[in-house]
Amino acid sequence: MTVVNLQYYAQLREQAGVGSEQVSTAATSLRELYDELRVRRGFSLAADALKVAVNAQFSAWDRPLRDGDTIVFIPPVAGG
Amino acid sequence: MMRFSLSSDAVDTAGLHAALQHPGSGGFCAFEGWVRNSNDGREVDGLEYEAYAELALAEGERILDEAIARYGVTDARCVHRSGHLKVGELAVWVGVSAAHRDEAFRACRYIIDEIKHRLPIWKKEHYLTGESNWVACTHVYREHEHEHHHHHQHAVPFTPDYSRQLRLREVGEAGQVRLAAARVLVIGAGGLGCPVLSYLAGAGVGTLGIVDGDRLDASNLHRQTLYDARDIGERKVDLAARRIAALNPAVTVRTWTEPLHASNAVEVFGQFDLVVECTDDMRSRYLSSDAAVLSGTPLILASVYQYEGQLQVVAAQPDAPCLRCLWPQEPAPEAVSSCVQSGVLGPVPGVLGTMQAMEALKLLLGLPHPAGHALLLVNLLDFTIQHLPIDPAEGCALHGGCVAVARDALARSLGDDDIELSFERLEDAIAAGFRLIDLREPDEVAAEPLHELPAQHIPSAQVVARAGELPGGRILLICASGRRSGHAARLLRAQGLHQVHSLAGGLRASLRERESG
Repeated sequence: MTVVNLQYYAQLREQAGVGSEQVSTAATSLRELYDELRVRRGFSLAADALKVAVNAQFSAWDRPLRDGDTIVFIPPVAGG
Repeated sequence: MMRFSLSSDAVDTAGLHAALQHPGSGGFCAFEGWVRNSNDGREVDGLEYEAYAELALAEGERILDEAIARYGVTDARCVHRSGHLKVGELAVWVGVSAAHRDEAFRACRYIIDEIKHRLPIWKKEHYLTGESNWVACTHVYREHEHEHHHHHQHAVPFTPDYSRQLRLREVGEAGQVRLAAARVLVIGAGGLGCPVLSYLAGAGVGTLGIVDGDRLDASNLHRQTLYDARDIGERKVDLAARRIAALNPAVTVRTWTEPLHASNAVEVFGQFDLVVECTDDMRSRYLSSDAAVLSGTPLILASVYQYEGQLQVVAAQPDAPCLRCLWPQEPAPEAVSSCVQSGVLGPVPGVLGTMQAMEALKLLLGLPHPAGHALLLVNLLDFTIQHLPIDPAEGCALHGGCVAVARDALARSLGDDDIELSFERLEDAIAAGFRLIDLREPDEVAAEPLHELPAQHIPSAQVVARAGELPGGRILLICASGRRSGHAARLLRAQGLHQVHSLAGGLRASLRERESG
């Protein structure tokens, strides 16, 4: 199991009901982790509609997870 | 007695003349201002005067009182037109009667100079090309300022005072000259656009373009600080142009009353040095990114969601990332939500718009700028700002580069330019042979039913998957604003359904037509 810190923005924050959380996961890549969260948190957006950043750098979805990673899922927003 | 008046009809000069006849007057002098057919080398078709009537009447009266007291004339009258005027029409009439001709001439001159300078009346010129501009009177020569035996406290012309920013070593006179020469286009005069326009006008940016198709709604006022309660129902571009003219008359304002589209965006961007994207519309944001890349015009994007925002500068240079480098495809409107659906606190677009204004001034003045390209995530609840560097090699570069990607996207939009159709009444669409597909959610349909109109209901998120259920022939997709229906129509077209259209502006637009009609 890997322990990672998650941060949510915009509609993901709203749907999760929290801005951040720490999770322990069996997922091996960012994509697997997001799919897992999507089921648990009921996120409406597919991974392809999002950007993901790890430790303040944008990242590819197939990146493996490491203990202590800070992961941010970022949807595009349009309000003005 | 009121000597000054505003008139929306032709001026009765004979009546005014008669009112000024007085046994003690040995002279009468009048001035007439007419609409001429050109200004600044552009052919003018006509113009439009908008007055802040309450203030204009009080100020006009004060000017006439001043003229009478100052020159000792018998009486004076002035009428200023409002509304639409054609070339050759009388725009302003001034008449003075006095014991002797000299004071009549001088009082007449004083009145017209002060009227032009002080009255809150804005002039919009309509050009033969179909464009129009709000024209600010930047500096008016006033003869009486050069009369040495009189001093008058009102006779100080307004010249912008940029001393507080000139004092910055990085700005200085050279920076001010750069700002005065700069042309900045602001797309969207809402929550983000208000601070952008205010700060850029205040800083003395020479030309500001404003694009907005909306009229002011009461629900805008908690975040759109250029406007007030008396403005509701008016076009935002006109209101914003008026506010800018009042804030800094040295700024030239150009307005577009319809959103830009695939066929004109690149050309319009080319007329500006910098574009600031301030709409709440995802489609506009993608179009702006494409137009910035193709015209080589830098673009400052920002958007907000509830208590947070995003900011990205598209430098529009080779190897600099665009919006599509982050999110290649425009997301479906129902996936991104909006201020209407999700809510927003007023200061959130205020802060992000202020950051856009700051970025704009940094770019125009060549101020120090972080190296590299980044997406900024701003959270105003916990005051964190995340600075995420964007690697251009991971974006459009994988699909042929930003220019090729933008060109393809624009070509697709142009091919879809017959998607949007306007109907004053949905009955007209049915009569024209369209089958209606209502894409709204069940609760929206329940709140605003279409009543007796025949329509099939398929929520927008399902319509592509359920394309097989669509009837043959011409189809009109409808939703509340036209955004979901427009997006769905483009997706269905991409699947070969070429007879699919979208109701432009959605039910909100046809409802408004009904109310105003």
